[in-house]
Amino acid sequence: MTRERALILVALLAILGAVAWSAWPRELTAAERVDRITSELRCVTCQGLSVKDSPAASARQMRDLVVQRVAEGRTDDEIRGEFRASYGDWVLLSPPASSWTGLIWLVPIVALAAGLAAVLGRLRTVVPNAAAPSPPELAALRERVAREEALDLPEADGAE
Amino acid sequence: MPRWLRLSVVVGIAALVVVLMLSFRRDPHDIRTGTVNKPAAAFTADRLDGTGTLSLRDYAGKVVVLNFFASWCPPCKEENPALVRVWERYRTSDVVFIGIVYEDATDKARAYVSANGVTWPTVRDDDGRIAFAYGVFGPPETYFIGPDGVIAGRRIGAISEATLVASIDKLRAQASR
Amino acid sequence: MTFSFADLGTGALRAALPLAIWGIGAAAYAAAKRDGRALASARWAALITFLLVVLAALAMVGALVTHDFSVAYVAQNNARETPLFFTVVSLWAALEGSILLWTAILAGATAYVAWRGTPALPRLATTALAVLFVMVTFFLLLVTTPAADPFVRSEIVPLNGNGPNPLLQNHPLMALHPPLLYLGYVLFSVPFAYAIASLILGEGGDRWLVATRRFALVSWALLGVGIVAGSWWSYAVLGWGGYWAWDPVENAAIMPWLVATAYLHSVMVEEKRRLLRSWNLSLVIATFALTILGTFLTRSGVVNSVHAFTQSAIGPLLLGYLVAIVVLSVGLLLWRLPTLRDAGAVGAPLSREAIFLFQNVVFVAATLTVLLGTLYPLIAEALSGAQLSIGRPYFDRVEVPLALALLFLMGIGPQLPWHGASRATLERQFTAPIVAAAGGALLAVATGLSGAFAVLTYALAAFVAATVVQEFARGIRARKALHGESAGTAFANLLRRSGRRYGGYVVHLGIVLVAVAVATSQSKTIEVERTVRAGDHFEAAGYTIAFDGLRSVSEPQRDLLVADLRVAGNGADEHLRPALLFFPNATQAVGSPGIAAGLHDDVYTILVAYDTTARSWATIRVLVIPLVSWLWLGGGVVGLGAIIAALPQPKRRDVMRVLADAPATVGD
Repeated sequence: MTRERALILVALLAILGAVAWSAWPRELTAAERVDRITSELRCVTCQGLSVKDSPAASARQMRDLVVQRVAEGRTDDEIRGEFRASYGDWVLLSPPASSWTGLIWLVPIVALAAGLAAVLGRLRTVVPNAAAPSPPELAALRERVAREEALDLPEADGAE
Repeated sequence: MPRWLRLSVVVGIAALVVVLMLSFRRDPHDIRTGTVNKPAAAFTADRLDGTGTLSLRDYAGKVVVLNFFASWCPPCKEENPALVRVWERYRTSDVVFIGIVYEDATDKARAYVSANGVTWPTVRDDDGRIAFAYGVFGPPETYFIGPDGVIAGRRIGAISEATLVASIDKLRAQASR
Repeated sequence: MTFSFADLGTGALRAALPLAIWGIGAAAYAAAKRDGRALASARWAALITFLLVVLAALAMVGALVTHDFSVAYVAQNNARETPLFFTVVSLWAALEGSILLWTAILAGATAYVAWRGTPALPRLATTALAVLFVMVTFFLLLVTTPAADPFVRSEIVPLNGNGPNPLLQNHPLMALHPPLLYLGYVLFSVPFAYAIASLILGEGGDRWLVATRRFALVSWALLGVGIVAGSWWSYAVLGWGGYWAWDPVENAAIMPWLVATAYLHSVMVEEKRRLLRSWNLSLVIATFALTILGTFLTRSGVVNSVHAFTQSAIGPLLLGYLVAIVVLSVGLLLWRLPTLRDAGAVGAPLSREAIFLFQNVVFVAATLTVLLGTLYPLIAEALSGAQLSIGRPYFDRVEVPLALALLFLMGIGPQLPWHGASRATLERQFTAPIVAAAGGALLAVATGLSGAFAVLTYALAAFVAATVVQEFARGIRARKALHGESAGTAFANLLRRSGRRYGGYVVHLGIVLVAVAVATSQSKTIEVERTVRAGDHFEAAGYTIAFDGLRSVSEPQRDLLVADLRVAGNGADEHLRPALLFFPNATQAVGSPGIAAGLHDDVYTILVAYDTTARSWATIRVLVIPLVSWLWLGGGVVGLGAIIAALPQPKRRDVMRVLADAPATVGD
């Protein structure tokens, strides 16, 4: 293995490790649970802010309610259910994955897939194999590239 | 661009336009979500004038009109005369008005009540739990609870005398059946 | 009153309308018959129309400054106590004024094309001029009819006006954000007009794209900086501590910007390799259509919150305009599709053009997601009557992975050659950046960032930064070797002479700053809320906040209740004054935050609640937000990079003229 490949491999492993470390599922504290739940509930007197973000009085009281329910041991779904009972699905800032509204989660996936399919269909599958240049050819090519980089070649520009 | 993609783009744009045109019919004051047609949440609250507590249970079997108000709310002041007139008309019958303070200081609420001739029972809701249980978006909001204890309707925004009377009469007719 | 600004404005607009209509005819005739006199007539029509609309705008400013409440717009958006700065800025505070501003900018762009564009590419530019005149006519119709007439009279002349919306008289950024945004939106009309002209004339080539490249870059930059300015305004004024909430109005602005970014990049593919002709046309049409859609969403009241609904005829009119644009441009495109053949095939999957294509796919997917997320509540209600919300949690969860994919592509794209790269090239070029990425990931973990996305952002940010540094190093080395320049001179010359490329790299660095700012501020913000009495103090993330008490302040247009705070710690020592603002016509107070900004942390304080009876206590919310200043910095760097990329290169002008006259085969 070349030195470069070894370095790349080690670096990729380090990145993977760091990501795994930070993504490792862990028990959320009560405060974190409250934060997470309130960030998904809509403040009813605001223009789209979450209960967590809003400084409005009604939002703060709703936050207190969530704190109380979390302390009572209710699950996230039960707490959200209580809000839904009072305000309907409108109060959820993130549509639940079940039911019709959940379709919205598919949008980015479908868009990406369709786009990728269209692009991949246009790419050449095989790069024609050219013979590797000899050392003097390679040196001449390198010099030419360096010169083109440094020279003031005109760019394709318009009528301005 | 492949043909299927082109076609779906055209169809998508057309659908988008249709949706945008349909959205003009929406009335933002018509919010159907929430607690309508569900049993009214029970509550016990401190009376605003300090004379003890009041429970919704005390009025079981009657037509109950809940009105959420606040001293800082101009439409509340606007609708108040209508409330006063309708209350005068129905107070001796099986109809009850209950005013519930929404996000307001007690002394300011009391001043509002005395300044505006609110004679029906009023209660405090300091932690906002009653408002939450009913799904209140902001004052003024009025809820109509039938004798069966189910929320028959609600109105967001200042309510008119005509709407009050119509809703109450409908519920009273139900009761006598 | 014998002289009235309102009359002046009304007259100017009504004089401009027939001129614009004349302009359509003159320009179309000039293009069709190559008639020089018709062209001259169209040019003068464009210039005079522009001057008239500017006059109307100035007349509105005059009416505002003289508090002429006989004009409904002034009565609704101005009061005698309003400070002069915000009075002037109220020109764009509400619907009619902002449409007037839009019209003025559009008329200006039309005049520019009429005088600077037509000499270079007579037939193409003149046809584009006709298209622009059609657009100007539409907007002039808006401002001369009840739809959006800014000079409509008040039914009853009040003694004092309502004053501007409280949120719009808080911050000097009000002077910057809307004009920047509108410049960005409106200037995109020019590439669009050229694209339509190219389709109408059936040219099938790239001249329209090459001619408007700089215009597109400038619009993109203005729109981007305008969005960042809006974000900063939102942060400093709205008082919730965030800078982006995926609000429909915010989404309306970012959608055209996303597609415009895709367009800027795929333009390079067309210039270098004569590919993607129909795709680029589609992108320009989409960008322009999204600017109109954005205006429509913002102004028609269709997606506002439950508590607001602007009723005006402008909604259906804008929708009609949008439909007309989309139907006509898509129709033209489909008609001319056979003439838009590509001059080759895209290279291997690991080539620069392929990466640009992938990047385009991601940008379009991101835009579609924002669009459908914003409209979904409308769609659901129209179809099933259900009322639901789609907010931050959805958009964050969906857009962040797409943004990370874009960061990745941003790192590898510029490093890959056109046509394809070999394995050895890849290894050589990407070793250092990948090692840098590992460094970024480890730094993220070491500084306590939580969440996989935040760590990935740091890794990818380091990756991109390393590739940019590598590119600059290569360029400097090459110039040193061939011109014997010092490193400093070489660096400066890279920016001056290869501005497009290296300015683009500076833009990428700006985006990296923004990405790091977002990841850090979202992941490591600490919030503390306390109810305190005068003399109390409390801790928040290494800072001590002392509460000195509440006091009232009276200003002509508003009353304030100020909480005096002293913030100390980490080298900071500042006096902050979060407040509640009471305006005479508003039912509830508007919160105004007190912010101690720093290069590392912002300490953001909000007066959340207070003792209304005796003022003995106050509830203060403190947010310690790390690296949020890098957001504004990053926006500035992006703007700087765009300037570098847009500047004409020195000593190039005579070469340019030769090339401009040559047929469109330049650049191979």
